[in-house]
Amino acid sequence: MGRVTLITGGDGYLGRRIAAKLLEETDSRLLLWLRAADASAFLSKQDVLAESFGRFEGRVEYCYGDLTGESPFDGIEPASICRIVHAAAVTRFNVDEGTARRVNIEGTEKLLRFAERCGALERLGLLSSIYASGMRAGPIPETPFVNAGFANHYESSKWAAETLLFEKYAHLPWRIFRIATAIADDANGQVSQHNAVHNTLKLLYYGLISTLPGKPGTPMYLVTGDFAADAVCRLMSVSGSERIFHVAHRREQSLSLDELIALVFEVFGTDEFFRKRRIPRPLYVDEEAFELLHSALGAFAGGVVNQAVDSVAPFARQLFITKEVQNANLIAALGRDPAPDASAVVEATCRHLVRTKWGREKDRVS
Amino acid sequence: MNREVFVDHIGYALGEVTRTVEETGSRGDLLSQPDVLREAGFCVHHVSGPRQTAYDFARQAVQTVERELGNVGAIIYSTCIPANANIGRADAYLESRDVKNLMDFPASHLQSDFGLDRAIVIGLSQQACTGLLGSLRLAQALLRSEPETERVLCLTSDRFPEGALYEQSYNLISDGAAACVVSLAPASFRLLAAHGITNGALAQASDDETAGSFFAYTHRVIQETLAKAGLQISDVAWFVAQNMNRKATDILARLLKFDPGRAVSPTLPEVAHVISGDNLINLKYLAERGQIQGGERVLLCMAGYGLNWQCVILEKT
Repeated sequence: MGRVTLITGGDGYLGRRIAAKLLEETDSRLLLWLRAADASAFLSKQDVLAESFGRFEGRVEYCYGDLTGESPFDGIEPASICRIVHAAAVTRFNVDEGTARRVNIEGTEKLLRFAERCGALERLGLLSSIYASGMRAGPIPETPFVNAGFANHYESSKWAAETLLFEKYAHLPWRIFRIATAIADDANGQVSQHNAVHNTLKLLYYGLISTLPGKPGTPMYLVTGDFAADAVCRLMSVSGSERIFHVAHRREQSLSLDELIALVFEVFGTDEFFRKRRIPRPLYVDEEAFELLHSALGAFAGGVVNQAVDSVAPFARQLFITKEVQNANLIAALGRDPAPDASAVVEATCRHLVRTKWGREKDRVS
Repeated sequence: MNREVFVDHIGYALGEVTRTVEETGSRGDLLSQPDVLREAGFCVHHVSGPRQTAYDFARQAVQTVERELGNVGAIIYSTCIPANANIGRADAYLESRDVKNLMDFPASHLQSDFGLDRAIVIGLSQQACTGLLGSLRLAQALLRSEPETERVLCLTSDRFPEGALYEQSYNLISDGAAACVVSLAPASFRLLAAHGITNGALAQASDDETAGSFFAYTHRVIQETLAKAGLQISDVAWFVAQNMNRKATDILARLLKFDPGRAVSPTLPEVAHVISGDNLINLKYLAERGQIQGGERVLLCMAGYGLNWQCVILEKT
């Protein structure tokens, strides 16, 4: 196949977008590695992707494996790989410790060992998170993090994967892309994959929760999937010595938690169903009170509430921490300040969520 | 200037059958697991005997304060379940097609049974669990607006119908009644403020929606009541909660920046949620044990279907 870019998690939220960007905007040849337990699962996933990428036939190939397996990349010819984007990961805040370790840490090490065998490797991009900084407050520089404790296993596993790279595989031509939380696919607010943010918004819209953990002034780092994918594609190509990039905006460009909630309620308030129900803005509670609420709801409340609160709870501690994310490397590499307008993205996202009732109804506008 | 209004002489009655949460769970009368309700603070509850009616509870509760009734000018009789505001037989209506069987009002019987001949009767049946606090508000207004009225008997009485679940919005329910006297004559507690909020759009809220709206609306009704009284939460010595999940009371105290040790529902384990009567039953418990000192302010709050939230601030004289 010649010089090929391998994208792990090629059917995942970011992997798929990165693949689409590279296909549309470069002449790269791609090998999309998909997580699949067997050939049947692989073929179904491949069929879905082939529908999207059919017009790039000849430039895309597919393979599969499982990061928790013995040798997930054995089927790939290392000599053909010149670039790797490692997007495969479990990104749920409520991932359990074992899964986070097996997939995000041990799985990454398997990828790094494979990368060592790729003699023509020019660039290895590791997708990480700004929350690999864990409980660290204050300036969050584009440098390796020390262990400052973590709010959940997702964060600790991303930090551990980075540390593994620094300590054992620093000889590889690596770059790390620490991405903020994706709130929407694009600036139009389309949402194809729900996470803790969307689950929280759902609870608020339906009046199922009237308290939120956190401090009103905590900055929220939210980006779109398109923005993240675009940045990763460009950062894989640019020259320069910087190797860690924050794919996020800075504090002064972000909304605080309270500004976010105010905007969310302003948008929700344009919806008659919501407005009529006079759902009040939530009250901010401390960590202990939220934990009380979480444990009480865990015992009593219905499935939807439980699932949503469960997905939010592991991230709750972050809502008390003021991080000042720095992105000088990102700006220098891209030659511009690319952060999308946070208010516009949040507003569009909320409108989409309300229109589609969190994906239950077809979006007639789009 | 508004005349001072006082609250005193609290009495109550409970269903004659006492069951543990496990016993009720095994009867299939709960939605949650018994251990979950026990973890929430509930141990036993009280349900009606086969022949006990809601009106029986009302009579029993009033009997405990009968000597204190004096010259009652009004009876405000609240029920959570509207059906408890009629003691007529449903089958009598079906047989006769005469709607007077649907208007056999317990407040009228109470007036007669206790010889409260001067009292007018007022039914309050659409404020659910907040009805008793709502009746204090109405009593205050009545006493201030009608000089000839000096005392008002407020009471609430409910029993669940046969076959009903005894869990509502994650609370274990007891059948029972509570009563008190609201008067112009100085008595144990001065009524400083009474306030309520209704959100009719949530009239048919699910248990999750009821729980979901609880903190924000309860916080709001408390803040508005404090403002009405010209007080800050720091001016309040006791927050007497309804008998609900103890964790909810703790969370509310934290939201209010109030000492959780003084946010109390002391009868929660043994009395459970007596529908609209919890606050006063808890207040009676504290008062009888001398825990409330003269000059201390007590905040009582209740949430109920409708959805309604009501709050009252009292001051121990």
